[in-house]
Amino acid sequence: MKDQHPLISKPGWRDIAFFFGPLIGFYALFYLFSTGFLIFTAFQKVSIALRNPRFVGWKNFELLLTDPTFLTALKNNIVFAGTSIAAGLSLGFVIAVFLAAGHWGKGLFYAIFLLPTLMPLALVASVFRVLLESRFGGVNETLRAIGLESLAQNWLIDPTLAYGVVMILFVYMIGLPILYYTANLSALNNSVLEAAVLDGAGPLRIMHEILFPLMRATHRTIVLSTVLMSFRAFDIVFFSTQGGPAGTTEITGTYVYRFSTSGLNIGYGSSAALVVMIFALFIAAVQVLWTRRRS
Amino acid sequence: MNNTPDFLYRRPVEKAIMVFFLVVLAALWSLPLIAALLRGFAFNGLANYSDVLFGNIGGITLWRTYLNSFIIALLHALLVVTVASLAGYGFAFFHFRGKECAYFIVLVFLAVPATSLLIPLFFITRELGLRDNWLAVALPEAALTLPFGVLLIRNYAEDIPSALIEAAVIDGASNQRIYLDIFLPLCRPALINLVALSMMWSMQDFLFPSLFFSSKEMTTAAQAVSRFREYLGASPEDIGRYNASLVLLAVPALVIVLFGLRFITRGLTAGGVKE
Repeated sequence: MKDQHPLISKPGWRDIAFFFGPLIGFYALFYLFSTGFLIFTAFQKVSIALRNPRFVGWKNFELLLTDPTFLTALKNNIVFAGTSIAAGLSLGFVIAVFLAAGHWGKGLFYAIFLLPTLMPLALVASVFRVLLESRFGGVNETLRAIGLESLAQNWLIDPTLAYGVVMILFVYMIGLPILYYTANLSALNNSVLEAAVLDGAGPLRIMHEILFPLMRATHRTIVLSTVLMSFRAFDIVFFSTQGGPAGTTEITGTYVYRFSTSGLNIGYGSSAALVVMIFALFIAAVQVLWTRRRS
Repeated sequence: MNNTPDFLYRRPVEKAIMVFFLVVLAALWSLPLIAALLRGFAFNGLANYSDVLFGNIGGITLWRTYLNSFIIALLHALLVVTVASLAGYGFAFFHFRGKECAYFIVLVFLAVPATSLLIPLFFITRELGLRDNWLAVALPEAALTLPFGVLLIRNYAEDIPSALIEAAVIDGASNQRIYLDIFLPLCRPALINLVALSMMWSMQDFLFPSLFFSSKEMTTAAQAVSRFREYLGASPEDIGRYNASLVLLAVPALVIVLFGLRFITRGLTAGGVKE
């Protein structure tokens, strides 16, 4: 923190209530009560109507942690987050550096790469799905039209291809890394670069040996925020493959959604929601502590 | 690096390679949008777009979804800015035991997945009788945005020159006065960033509207992506219309993002890359 001391040393109760009351209200209802509600129902077998609950102990958690689909969902979260991170740190970095070094069209390029991330994900994923539909999708129609009918595939039905499609969608969401790198590059001290240029370092060497190591803090921000985003990436999977075929592209978001909205046993849905929430809280805590230690 | 944008290349070849690389990637990145735009003309041509623009699709007009999205986005932004600026003031200027601990607890909820809260939210919405009410969506959205909002405002508030606040304290102004007359005007840039981000995030939300709005008149633009699909997804002739609707449903979010891109960028970097 800055070494500026807080100015108003002893706020009265009325001040506390005035300034923190609304926030406390939100947190009490949407986080404290909600988490309590999840914990309460996670040990029950109960329908969404909340009638005739039956206490089942750890049964829901046992079922959850032995369900192969849930484990696949967790694994996919990591794989898709990893894909995003790899794309962000390589392609995102290169794009940001090129944009920072370019002369014309900077704003246009920036907007093109950033837009997919900032639009409703439901929309972007739907556009992909419509394009890749096997019968009337744009991709297959184009392939047929140019005589490459053999290449037309069931993009969203074949498990391997569907998995690839979701991975491509995660790469497509490259906006945030570019945004973070661009911000940090524009705050960079020029003298290091000028010295390197004078010493005759080529563009690749400058990028690889000077810029990339200089961006260490940004890399970390990108890694953590991407992992956190993968827990919120429900729409990407839901609108492209719906988690299918047969649960192969399921992520934690779609899994929890499915069991939260089915209404039969929301106790099970609650246990899944809790486990996923604990993961997200843990990663957020790591991020907050890291950011704090630096400042 | 604004002084020497050409630090990376001295030879024209290097520049050409860089521009080529960017152009190819940008083309790839805009391909889905272009494809959707073109497919929007399939079978019926421009009629697809005018059908979606002026017709009634499964009981709702496109304009109504725009309006709904904007209302919720504004409501959400208003809630977030009010609550976050109040708490941000407290965290920046008050001194009390356990403040940093409280702040940590606030921030830990930075990335709670909306899907994890669905079951309690069903219950809360039902008990408060909020179904088909703007607040059923705006309130939980605000809860999810608040941790970021508080972070953004506090970071900004701590850079406010302390003399300005001190002078007011010495003059005997109450905290409420200082907050309204000094703090809010000084925080304007951060508040604008937060408004732009809040509106964008609300426009992105599909989940809450789809679960807490059952009335057709309430459908938001992001939610219409799936409602229109149910209605337009049946025959091949509808593919053109569905594509046209996808393109047109992007408009509200596009307006916010393009007009607010500067603020969105600033807000995200101020909250994310904290140096």
